[in-house]
Amino acid sequence: MKKFSQLAIPYIVWMVLMLVLPVALIAMYSVTTHGNSIISFSFTLEHYKKFFTDSDFLLVLGRSLMIALKTTIICLLLGYPAAYFIARSSEKVQNLLIMAITIPTWINMLVRTYAWIGLLSDGGIVQQILKLLGLGEVELLYTEGAVLLGMVYNFIPFMILQINSALCKMDASLLEAAADLGASKAETFKKVTFPLSLPGVINGITLVFLPAVSSFFIPKLLGGGQYFLIGNLIENQFITAGEWNFGSAISMIMAASMMLMMMLVKKIEVRNNGGKEEV
Amino acid sequence: MKQDKRMFGKILMGLLIVFFYAPIIYMIVFSFNEGKSLTHFSGFSLKWYQHMLESRDMMESLYTTFSIAILSTLISTVVGTITAIGLSKSKKVVRDVVEQVNNLPIMNPEIVTAIGFMLFFITFRVEKGYITMLLAHIAFCIPYVILSVMPKVRSLDPNLADAAMDLGATPMQALIKVIVPQITPGIVSGALIAFTMSVDDFIISYFVTGQGVKNLSIMVYTMSKRVNPSINAVSTLVVAIITVALLAINLIPAFVAKQQEKGRGNGSKPLLFAVAGVLVVISTIGFALHGGLKGSEKPYQGQTLRIYSPGEYMGENIIPAFEEMTGARVVLELFDSNEQMYIKVANGESYDILIPSDYMIERLIQEELLQKLDQSQIINMDFINEEVKNLSYDPGNEYSVPYFWGSVGIIYDTTKVTREELEKDGYNIFLNPKYKGDIYLYDSERDSFMMALKALGYSMNTEKEEELQKAYEWFETCVTTMEPEIVTDEIIDNMAQGRKALGIVYSGDAAYIMSENEDMGYFEPLEGTNNWCDAMVIPANAENVELAQEFMNYLCSYEAAYDNSDFVGYTSPNEEVMDDLYGEGGTYEGINAYIPRSGYEMDESFVFNERTRKIISNLWSKVKIVASNVN
Repeated sequence: MKKFSQLAIPYIVWMVLMLVLPVALIAMYSVTTHGNSIISFSFTLEHYKKFFTDSDFLLVLGRSLMIALKTTIICLLLGYPAAYFIARSSEKVQNLLIMAITIPTWINMLVRTYAWIGLLSDGGIVQQILKLLGLGEVELLYTEGAVLLGMVYNFIPFMILQINSALCKMDASLLEAAADLGASKAETFKKVTFPLSLPGVINGITLVFLPAVSSFFIPKLLGGGQYFLIGNLIENQFITAGEWNFGSAISMIMAASMMLMMMLVKKIEVRNNGGKEEV
Repeated sequence: MKQDKRMFGKILMGLLIVFFYAPIIYMIVFSFNEGKSLTHFSGFSLKWYQHMLESRDMMESLYTTFSIAILSTLISTVVGTITAIGLSKSKKVVRDVVEQVNNLPIMNPEIVTAIGFMLFFITFRVEKGYITMLLAHIAFCIPYVILSVMPKVRSLDPNLADAAMDLGATPMQALIKVIVPQITPGIVSGALIAFTMSVDDFIISYFVTGQGVKNLSIMVYTMSKRVNPSINAVSTLVVAIITVALLAINLIPAFVAKQQEKGRGNGSKPLLFAVAGVLVVISTIGFALHGGLKGSEKPYQGQTLRIYSPGEYMGENIIPAFEEMTGARVVLELFDSNEQMYIKVANGESYDILIPSDYMIERLIQEELLQKLDQSQIINMDFINEEVKNLSYDPGNEYSVPYFWGSVGIIYDTTKVTREELEKDGYNIFLNPKYKGDIYLYDSERDSFMMALKALGYSMNTEKEEELQKAYEWFETCVTTMEPEIVTDEIIDNMAQGRKALGIVYSGDAAYIMSENEDMGYFEPLEGTNNWCDAMVIPANAENVELAQEFMNYLCSYEAAYDNSDFVGYTSPNEEVMDDLYGEGGTYEGINAYIPRSGYEMDESFVFNERTRKIISNLWSKVKIVASNVN
């Protein structure tokens, strides 16, 4: 089978060039003083020091992680039952529902987020509905709630689709077997369904949490100019401040903290699978 | 019990569907709105569609989005599938390493990937534009395809290919006839993910684009600061395209499911048809955009003029009229701030015309990034107001032709704030608790610091660190006690609608706001302000210098200058235009913001100083961070 294994070689070359090198460049920028000029290459850790010794930067990082966490939890709480419902529907309904969830994701994210500005702004439809419900005139746009809503809106389809595909992959005979062996519905869910859907849950969490941490257009469009997350901080360093070295250092810090978190999540997954690799 | 569960599921599902589609329906409905309002539907009209069709920016962004999505989906699906098959037969070490690396763009926050690509292209001097965007999209799509195909490949019986070959198939046949059909569901879902990712992408595209190439996301991001219902029209068009494509595909999931049952490969035709259909639509748009301009011979036929300008800063007829006159194509790219523009230009991106501010021109001249003008080609320079000629940043106007000029001041709601208060407090009115939660600050490091420094009685060109520190503390007080909103061009529509009592604005925006809302007033504080001038310059690496000078000359003419100033609201450097627009019957008749104060001793112009720029830039970032940490 040597022949087939060679098929991967072109991509490995491309991968080194397009995936490894860029990250290496960020790492390099983050520890040098003068950008990419190799002549004046000088090693420094000042950018990292600058970030970690300033409580304001740390607060921004903390808040970004917090809002991403909230987004992920909401997506999971709403997404799991939805995915479960879909997986238990008849095949026809299943396909329809999957379509219904997929179509919006095909329409550009910024476009959809932009639409929320109109819905949430003063005198907009959402505010009117809340007023009818007797909740008074609530300020919606440019609040943390709006940012959270924008994130859930944009990322929840990924969660549903991932969990759903894990649930669908499950062998139906497993459930029958569990029932035959006398397990209750709840027990079956706890011991069979949920553990088997875990890879989907993990993938869903990844696909929601990561973009939520680094998103900078949702906070900018729905949170207003003074709603600053770590993504905005990085954008600002690269696009307006021109401090690429500091920006790279923040990127490295963010990437590292993400990796760490994902490793933790993976650990949980492996433990739940009894240490076995998924089939 | 079971019934209850289904009930809960149904309700949840129903609410989710409403949630998913509410903004889309909103968008479609409001794309037919006659008025400009985002919240009130005032009647049916197709005018935003007309706007959209006339706006080449929008049509081009559609073309870019879909052509890149289709190309990157095709390429990444093929490459990803081949790689996944190859990997499944590779040594475990190789496979594990590749899978780990592949996870980089998936596991890394998107912005990190984006920055990596940007640094990569800049380091290897690849000019950013369509190709770099495509490469980046392919690069981040392939891992998703591999991720989606890999499990299918691995669940295949490893002996399957061997069996096929034992029966006489060549490896190629074994691959296409045996392996690929088995993993089709994985390939299709991988392709779908790739397509979705590409259409949706903003962050990566935003960092790797150049030469004015923009996809939908970038277009929305740069245009969304002002109310612009044409965006709804474009969005509706996107919805239509997607729906048509989906109908053509004839319900993909159903198709995939059938495919799974049959396990045969010849069913991929509907998908191909759909792709082909979308390709036809896209190439038609592409053809209309690129080929549609051909016609009779004109002096600059076939040339492209690339302009890099601040957002919302050009009359809507200027470019079409200039294209009509010269036969050239104009590509307009927008920037948020002079600093953003500088970073791109200093990194070697090529434009033909830039429209920066005074101090930035001074910097560009100092760093030899500009070229001298051939003044004999710009004869209309004679119409330019003496007041904005020969300014200190460019004596003799060797490099620059004035574009707009003005001051910075306070826009205020005359029903809430009196002129006496403003005269008494000056800029310090932004610290007056009476207006807590009722003020806008402008997100410009330079002009914000101007305001704080002037409020404290310092020169806005101060080089003293303790004075800059004081200015920072002034802002710290402001953002921690006053709940200001820090905005850019959003301030224009918001103040025109009277959303807040006070804001800091450029005189031209004030003129526009006042022409829209009579209750608004403009005040230039007695502590002094920034007398600024924005001008057109030609970068040293420009390609079409003669065409650029033609454009400059055109903009100095009465006709173009009138159109420009009338539309945008900024003060024209063409003296006659300025007088006509301010005078009787003019659009800005009697609006004081249109005629900025001149000759007042406390007013200054910016002088460029790299050291203070850095300090100010850092401090202003901190102001914004502190402001957001207050919330």
